[in-house]
Amino acid sequence: MASPALLNSLIALTFIAAALLAIVPVPEWALYYRPEWVALVLVYWVINHPERVGVGVAWLVGIMVDALTGSLFGLHALGLALVAYLTLRLRLRLRLYTVLQQASVLLVIIGLQLLLLQWLQILFDLPRGASMIYLAPAISSALLWPLAWLLLGGLARSLDLN
Amino acid sequence: MIADQRFGYMEHARQALGMAAAPFHWLADTPARIGSSFNDIFVNRADLIEENGRLREELLLSQQRLLLAESLSVENNRLLALQNASALLEQEVLPAEIINVSPDPYSRRILINKGSRDGVFEGQAVLEANGLMGQVVQAMPFASWVLLITDANHVTPVEVSRNGERALARGSQSSGTELDLEFVIPTQDMEVGDTLISSGMGLVYPKNYPVAEIISVSRSPGQPYANIKARPKAQFSSTRHVMLVLDAANTDYAAAVSDAAGIEEESSLAAVNSAN
Repeated sequence: MASPALLNSLIALTFIAAALLAIVPVPEWALYYRPEWVALVLVYWVINHPERVGVGVAWLVGIMVDALTGSLFGLHALGLALVAYLTLRLRLRLRLYTVLQQASVLLVIIGLQLLLLQWLQILFDLPRGASMIYLAPAISSALLWPLAWLLLGGLARSLDLN
Repeated sequence: MIADQRFGYMEHARQALGMAAAPFHWLADTPARIGSSFNDIFVNRADLIEENGRLREELLLSQQRLLLAESLSVENNRLLALQNASALLEQEVLPAEIINVSPDPYSRRILINKGSRDGVFEGQAVLEANGLMGQVVQAMPFASWVLLITDANHVTPVEVSRNGERALARGSQSSGTELDLEFVIPTQDMEVGDTLISSGMGLVYPKNYPVAEIISVSRSPGQPYANIKARPKAQFSSTRHVMLVLDAANTDYAAAVSDAAGIEEESSLAAVNSAN
């Protein structure tokens, strides 16, 4: 059993890495398909360590993302809090699922997050896309979930944290 | 919390978090910086010589054009002074570098490496070598967000350089790289190929900077307004260097007139000198 300090710093580090991935400049076309890295990491930690990462942490991480992207304060915070809440509710079931089943649930969860963001953007009259392409990140996130699961799981196991 | 933002209660938190965000942006920018330094290192001699020659040629041409422009601007100021209009003054600029772009595909914003510590303020105009770029919407201590003129929520007051027809150029909803001219009635004289320059209305942008070129005009009989598209002159995706306009776009009337008078005095002196 590893020390809680190590686990906490690993959680913080993965969130920082995800936030960096979320703001790294990519080509124009890839912007529409950029996976929700932060949400992926969040879901992993909520499933495996719900006693450490919950809605509150999700909110704080969301504020960080808002600061990084210069978006309206609380926008991503609210979205990620929703993701954390849904994952917490489904956590016991998600633990039993295979990775592919988890990915399909994730598709819905992140889709709901994007829908919430879209509604908020309409509410506050922020720039937004006119088509359904705003849901594209949900698909790319779900496709990347097995990779994230293996990577984060491997990281946690190699540090003897599970 | 989001509602707070609308009324600006979160400004201090935003400033503090902006400070904390600076190292993140620096890190995220690293790949691009390494890439450009590699470009600087691995460049062959022939390319350098060729580029050098090309730049020298360009410099020569620009200098020649500058000479012409100087004499024209003196003449222009004199004519404006005769008309009691405000003169076009040269503006001081602060160079800056783009360090990130907005991850949100629907909002056209860039992050530049100059912040309120360097004197950047909200509403400051940002230019690029080829044309108008946008304005600062959020000045953090070490970096600032710039809203580009192609953002769908950004409107630039422009006029046609050929005949002074005025219009409002809004970022296109659909393409993201074009501008739509709004509320242009079909009888207004605008044609494909016309250059749009900033009209200086709205007091954000300096007057007479190139903004865009009209690429399509369609007037359909049933519609109250013509459908006109324009392509911005500024190279948004290929440049890394921008300029911030330091002084306010519109100098006040008295200063402009006295300056124009000064220029007139100078030129009359020059005339006397040459007569001698």
